[in-house]
Amino acid sequence: MSDCIPRSRPWLWAVSLAGIALLAVPLGLPAQEAVMPQYGDFPLIGSRAAIWIAAQVHLLFAAFVLGVPMFAVVVEAIALFGGEERYDKLAKEFTRLLLVAYSATAIWGGILVFGLVTLYPGIWTYLAQIFAPSMWAYVGLFFFESFTLYLYYYGWERWKEGKAKVFHWSLGILLNVWGTTVMLIANSWLTFMMSPPADLTPDTAPQNVQFWSAFANATWMPINIHRLIANVVFGGAIVGAYAAYRFLMASSDEERAHYDWMGYVGNFIAIGALIVLPFAGYYLGREIYEYNQQMGITMMGGFMSWLWIVQAFLIGVLFLAGNYYLWVGMGRIPGAERYTPYTKWMLVVLVLGVIVWATPHTMIASREELEAMGGSHHPFLGVLGVMSAKNTAVNLMILTTFLSFLLYRRGNKRLTHPAAKTITSIQAGIFVIAAGVVLFYGVYGYFVTAIVRIGFSVYQVLAVLGTIVSVTILDAIVLRNAESFGEIRWGHMPARSQYALFVLAVTFTWLMGLMGFARSGIRQHWHVFEVVQDNSPWAATPALGYAATVISACVLIFLALVAFIFWLGNLAENPSGKTSAPTRPVPVSGPTPATGD
Amino acid sequence: MARNDAPGATVFMTNVKIGLVVLGTLGLYTLVANSIPQVQSEVPERLSFGADVSSSELVSAGEELFQGAGGCVACHGLGERAPNLRTAEGNDGTIGARCGSRVPGVDCKTYLHTSLVTPGDYVVEGYLPIMPDMRRTLSETQIWALVAYLESLGGEVTVTGADIVTSAGEEAPSSAAATPSGTPAATTVGAVGGMDPVALIDNNLCVNCHTIDDRGVALGPSFNGIGGRVDANYIRNSILNPGAGASEGFEQLVGVMPTNFGQMFTAAQLEAIVNYLAARTEG
Repeated sequence: MSDCIPRSRPWLWAVSLAGIALLAVPLGLPAQEAVMPQYGDFPLIGSRAAIWIAAQVHLLFAAFVLGVPMFAVVVEAIALFGGEERYDKLAKEFTRLLLVAYSATAIWGGILVFGLVTLYPGIWTYLAQIFAPSMWAYVGLFFFESFTLYLYYYGWERWKEGKAKVFHWSLGILLNVWGTTVMLIANSWLTFMMSPPADLTPDTAPQNVQFWSAFANATWMPINIHRLIANVVFGGAIVGAYAAYRFLMASSDEERAHYDWMGYVGNFIAIGALIVLPFAGYYLGREIYEYNQQMGITMMGGFMSWLWIVQAFLIGVLFLAGNYYLWVGMGRIPGAERYTPYTKWMLVVLVLGVIVWATPHTMIASREELEAMGGSHHPFLGVLGVMSAKNTAVNLMILTTFLSFLLYRRGNKRLTHPAAKTITSIQAGIFVIAAGVVLFYGVYGYFVTAIVRIGFSVYQVLAVLGTIVSVTILDAIVLRNAESFGEIRWGHMPARSQYALFVLAVTFTWLMGLMGFARSGIRQHWHVFEVVQDNSPWAATPALGYAATVISACVLIFLALVAFIFWLGNLAENPSGKTSAPTRPVPVSGPTPATGD
Repeated sequence: MARNDAPGATVFMTNVKIGLVVLGTLGLYTLVANSIPQVQSEVPERLSFGADVSSSELVSAGEELFQGAGGCVACHGLGERAPNLRTAEGNDGTIGARCGSRVPGVDCKTYLHTSLVTPGDYVVEGYLPIMPDMRRTLSETQIWALVAYLESLGGEVTVTGADIVTSAGEEAPSSAAATPSGTPAATTVGAVGGMDPVALIDNNLCVNCHTIDDRGVALGPSFNGIGGRVDANYIRNSILNPGAGASEGFEQLVGVMPTNFGQMFTAAQLEAIVNYLAARTEG
């Protein structure tokens, strides 16, 4: 090297070094003092909305790719152990929907990470310092999950018989194990932001935070359970919408029958899992209160109180649309007309339930409004707006929906069991007792203190859950060897029933967005609740109207992409691109290509 | 199999109908959410008052906090969780009128300030101790502004610049709280108080609900003589899993005790407390 420097000009070398040194001073010193920017800026919509959309759309795809494998593997098991080929075909079709959805999940995950790194680098660094090991594990698991999915889907035909089929099914289970573990890890990050360990203070250095106490924080397990169930609900609803679309576009009766059945299965999964979701919601809410009363109060009675009225409205739509689909579906079941007279009464219970559930109670009110109402509660609505009334309403709605399923299931069955009448009477008795328990504790709740009243919801929930379990068992017994009034005429459904499936899918998706806002919003102006404050220009938690607009945008983006993904799936199925006209879906008579329920 | 005469048009119309159902549903939900009262949760405004601050300035700032970022209304203006401060409770008048007579010998200003920073000290009869220490979310200046506002609700505002000056230089927790980049002072993870059981009890909020010697609030079971009533296992279980049961006479408080002490204390700290309490057989 020294040979390259002209010996006759050592000054030149010295000047060069000095020049570099001079350049280094202005460049180097401030670099040592430079403070990493806390927040970036995103044009037009701002950083908060950008991250919000990226996170929400990513989460919607993630929920879909986690929910669908759960019931795909169950449907495959039905085919494997029950020997019905059509279930195997259905499971494969479910899985086909996952392939491109996985890519979309990863793409939106990438958008979210880059968004966080560029727009919220401070909080990202903070979280990475605590959760780095789990972030590495997350990436590794996602890798395994993706390749297990490819094996699962592309190996479907190769491993179709005998032990190979069992191996294939075990791949499905493995896929769920990876997926669920990935979810558990990601949940720990977001629940940490919501409920960091109580001993954490703004002065606690992130490197001093104990990993496991941050990971397994107070709301981690409740969120895990809630999301696990919600993903199944969501996956079922999206599959139902896919089937509805294919049903409406079907070019043959056989195709229409298949997608009618698929839509029914999707709806069954969605509504069936929805029935137990409120119980997981109670658990989550209770844990939030246990963690921090103030946070719980902010969530239920503070500036978010109106959110629950909107939520009640949405869940009311879900119950009504889900039951409507079942009632319309009974039209294709010979013998189900016996139960038609009951539907109007079930509708009455559901509508009354929605009205009670959507009754406001503790609303933010101005001094003038308080005076106008004569107190903090409206004299009439205040009575129905309390949890005693709401818990009673929702439990009766769940019981009613369960009854709809039972009637649907019994639609074409003629009972031959020797004790059929007795068992049916016992089932009816269980329903009456459960409704009585729910009503009793609902009314009694008005006469006891709040702390006692909270415990009553447990009795109400147990009564409903006990009914679901015991009546289902009795139903399985009484339906054994039942005769059939005739086979279900799959495909013989009016088009309006399929639009109900679209309403369900849109509502579930929107509801997920709304609940995501609630979960994240109760942190208010904190990145990590009461530990790391949000000092960005978007720190205020927006009002529900703004949130609704963002949620709608997220849902629209998601559904548009899902439609594109489904279209891509059809491309593979129908490469010629020829479009057949859909046949009219309203049944008159015709073949019954698929049977059973 | 029936065929439609105009397949392209039928497919198009079906797509249009689906699109309308989707957009209509989204539009309805967006409309409903925009039709209800719009409440935004604001960030607590940083306050910096000097000695010359006027009462009206303090009251105005306090009212804004009370209605908004302080989160006070959620409990003190709604429902039955906490006393409604803006309406009369019985015949005592609004909070500014009744605060001076709540605790004998404690003036209104002290009563209100204490209630905000150590809320366990003066839990009003008939209510549970759910009030958080407001120092976790508000600065001292903001707390004094709240006190001034509450005094103004039926009483005389006695908060002055002198009260503020004592906390001069303090800022809202937005600056006191860690920045997201995480440049905080080094600290220990765990409960405050080292290994001294008395210090652990005093410094970790136990005395907010339990009495020991002549200290603390008699809300939960007293620590005096506790070793004569229950054994060490019971004490340990009660700390680690407080929701599992309740001492006789305290059933209504199940669920009130925080469940995170098991995470806060190290095993050695926990055992120090357990052994100390188990040994207190006589007061």
